[in-house]
Amino acid sequence: MKKKMIFSDFFKNNGVVMGCLLIGLVSFWLIFLIILPQLSMLDYSFRFNLPPAEVGGPKDVYTLSNYQHLIYGSDTTHQTYNTVDLKVFVRTIIAAMLVTIFNIFLCYPLAYFLGQSKGSGFVRLLVVLLIIPYWINEILRAFALRIIFGDSGLLNEALMFLHLTSEPIDFIRQDIALYAGLGYAYILLMLFPMYNVIESLDRNQIEAARDMGASWMRIHRRIVIPHAKPGIVSGATMVFMLSAGALAAPQILGGPSSLWFTQLVYQWFNDSLNWQQGAAYAIVLLASTIIIVLTVMKIFKVNMGDIGK
Amino acid sequence: MSSANLIRIALGAYLLIFFSYLLGPLVVMSLTAFNSSSFPTVSPWACFSYEWFDVLFNDKHIRDGIYYSIVIGIGTVILSVSMGLAASIVLTQVWPKLRSTYYTMIIAPILIPGVVLGISTLVFWDRAGAFLGATDGSFLHGLFHNGIFLTILGQSSFIASYAMLVFVARLQRFDTGLTEAALDLGATHTQAFRKILLPFMRPAIASASVLAFLASFENYNTTTFTIIDYKTLTTVLAQKVRLGINPSISSLAFIIIVLTIFAALAFEAANRNKERKLAVRKGKASAEKSGVLPGFMTGNPAAIVLVLLAFVVIVLVGTAQKYSPEACKIQVREAKQVEIQQRIKELREARRIKDEARAAEEAKQPAQAPANAPQNSGAFGNVFAPGNLSEEEAPASDPAPSSGTGAFGNVFDPNNLNSE
Repeated sequence: MKKKMIFSDFFKNNGVVMGCLLIGLVSFWLIFLIILPQLSMLDYSFRFNLPPAEVGGPKDVYTLSNYQHLIYGSDTTHQTYNTVDLKVFVRTIIAAMLVTIFNIFLCYPLAYFLGQSKGSGFVRLLVVLLIIPYWINEILRAFALRIIFGDSGLLNEALMFLHLTSEPIDFIRQDIALYAGLGYAYILLMLFPMYNVIESLDRNQIEAARDMGASWMRIHRRIVIPHAKPGIVSGATMVFMLSAGALAAPQILGGPSSLWFTQLVYQWFNDSLNWQQGAAYAIVLLASTIIIVLTVMKIFKVNMGDIGK
Repeated sequence: MSSANLIRIALGAYLLIFFSYLLGPLVVMSLTAFNSSSFPTVSPWACFSYEWFDVLFNDKHIRDGIYYSIVIGIGTVILSVSMGLAASIVLTQVWPKLRSTYYTMIIAPILIPGVVLGISTLVFWDRAGAFLGATDGSFLHGLFHNGIFLTILGQSSFIASYAMLVFVARLQRFDTGLTEAALDLGATHTQAFRKILLPFMRPAIASASVLAFLASFENYNTTTFTIIDYKTLTTVLAQKVRLGINPSISSLAFIIIVLTIFAALAFEAANRNKERKLAVRKGKASAEKSGVLPGFMTGNPAAIVLVLLAFVVIVLVGTAQKYSPEACKIQVREAKQVEIQQRIKELREARRIKDEARAAEEAKQPAQAPANAPQNSGAFGNVFAPGNLSEEEAPASDPAPSSGTGAFGNVFDPNNLNSE
């Protein structure tokens, strides 16, 4: 009853042609590009990897084996855990969290500085400088770091020139390059949401607190950070999701022995041609990152509506 | 006073660190594009050279990649901008109780990992083809397994969310009274949309299109799954970087960086120009022109830098036609030869000295000699291996002490005497 009212109102407001066009475009996007693909991936992850002839046949039934593979490996007796893949998974999640925290601390002072100094020429220059690396290809940015962190890269040459080390440090094998690259890749997605919210903070509040004798720490803890919270959480959400789901940086900067969870997904799809297994891994990644983000948003009492501002 | 200074210094240092982390790698990468060394590096600088640009322009994979990236970019812009616009208009009218659910749904694709979006697109259209009974070779089967088609859909699924955010910001300032007035005056809804809302949204459509194109152009995570047989610039680059790096990639990066700087400066210059004109109109600033610079550059540092940069690029391209690094390259090669000769000589010298020393030892302790012989070969065997010469450091003195313990170290070991 009510739904009908909404629809008739909608068509009254927009006209039949425009109404259909709007509804058509939005539902194409939501149904065919978001909902159905996700559902079919979910469905796929519960199926066996069968040759084309057997698809739809009696063997094509639902199974949990793809998920069991992540936990127990190919061992069917379920005695031992699949430590290799599980370790990669845990490492990916924890490293993505650390990268996010690192970015928060690195970006907050700059966001505060940019947000509170009103429109001088210097600040405008800084903003332009920030935008430039934002539009350079992700692959090229990882490549740039690879040049710097390589065996005979600039950093090693500099360290050896300063006699801080006698032999080149293998930054790539020790994953230092990878973490630096992940922090580098998404840093601006942390900075801009923070900058936007801090910019909207009334400077008088800070002045008033200062006049009343609040310490520098207290001003930030009681005024700036509570105001900036939606921006910080929104930036942190994006950085966390993107670094957990990053593929380019681990492929280019990761050591030969250490993998990122997305690389396992990639291998299942492109090397083993086992789409079902890959879909199961992708579902695990998606579900766990969403659960983590929702938990953090609940703890900090931030709404979904704040994301993307 | 001094604490204020301290804060200023700390802030300066922090800004310096932040911006060198952000821009330093790009600067280093740009420099490596001009080094003739075949590995991208700056520190052993060989020769200033443009050869990597030649390599880049003659690379067929990269040219193909750019072509497909542009085709996919245009498709993605059309699809995602129209979907984003529709979604944002619906958002302003949706039933309040549904609003937050709806917003969550259309913002979610930004947060879904690109890998997941790519996989789900690939899986869904594969199964949609099977569901519709498309057989191998039929049109639908071809379409649903076409890399360009799938990539446009996969990228649009989240780029539409970015576009939607741009439109929502603009729509908040739209006065719906205008559309109502047009409708009251007898316009149809389509006319009202075309004549009122669309012109109002034009700046937002322009910026959303640019955003969507760039996002599509640089996307990797989704594209790498959906592209199948085709190649975009990003996937070509990723493949090249993974297989082995060479400076032609740096030269491409340099070109992209210069283009980005141009665009950023042009945008900033245009903005300032507009502001200045506004200020002049309001009578706040004097409209006088300085004698030297043309009007659009007055009080507009961005425009000045833009012109200077254009000049530098023209000079670079001009010299690239004539400049040849051959002389320098030969010089570098000769220097390397000399260095290698020098090293060989040093090693020979070291061996001679050692041989003499050993001869002296043997003369002193003839009984010991046969026992040590096999160890000696171990000590010197690797010194002249070809691998040692090509390495940057193989100082002649280095192997001596370490091998010395093997060759001679046991000679004076008291245990040796005991065992006899």
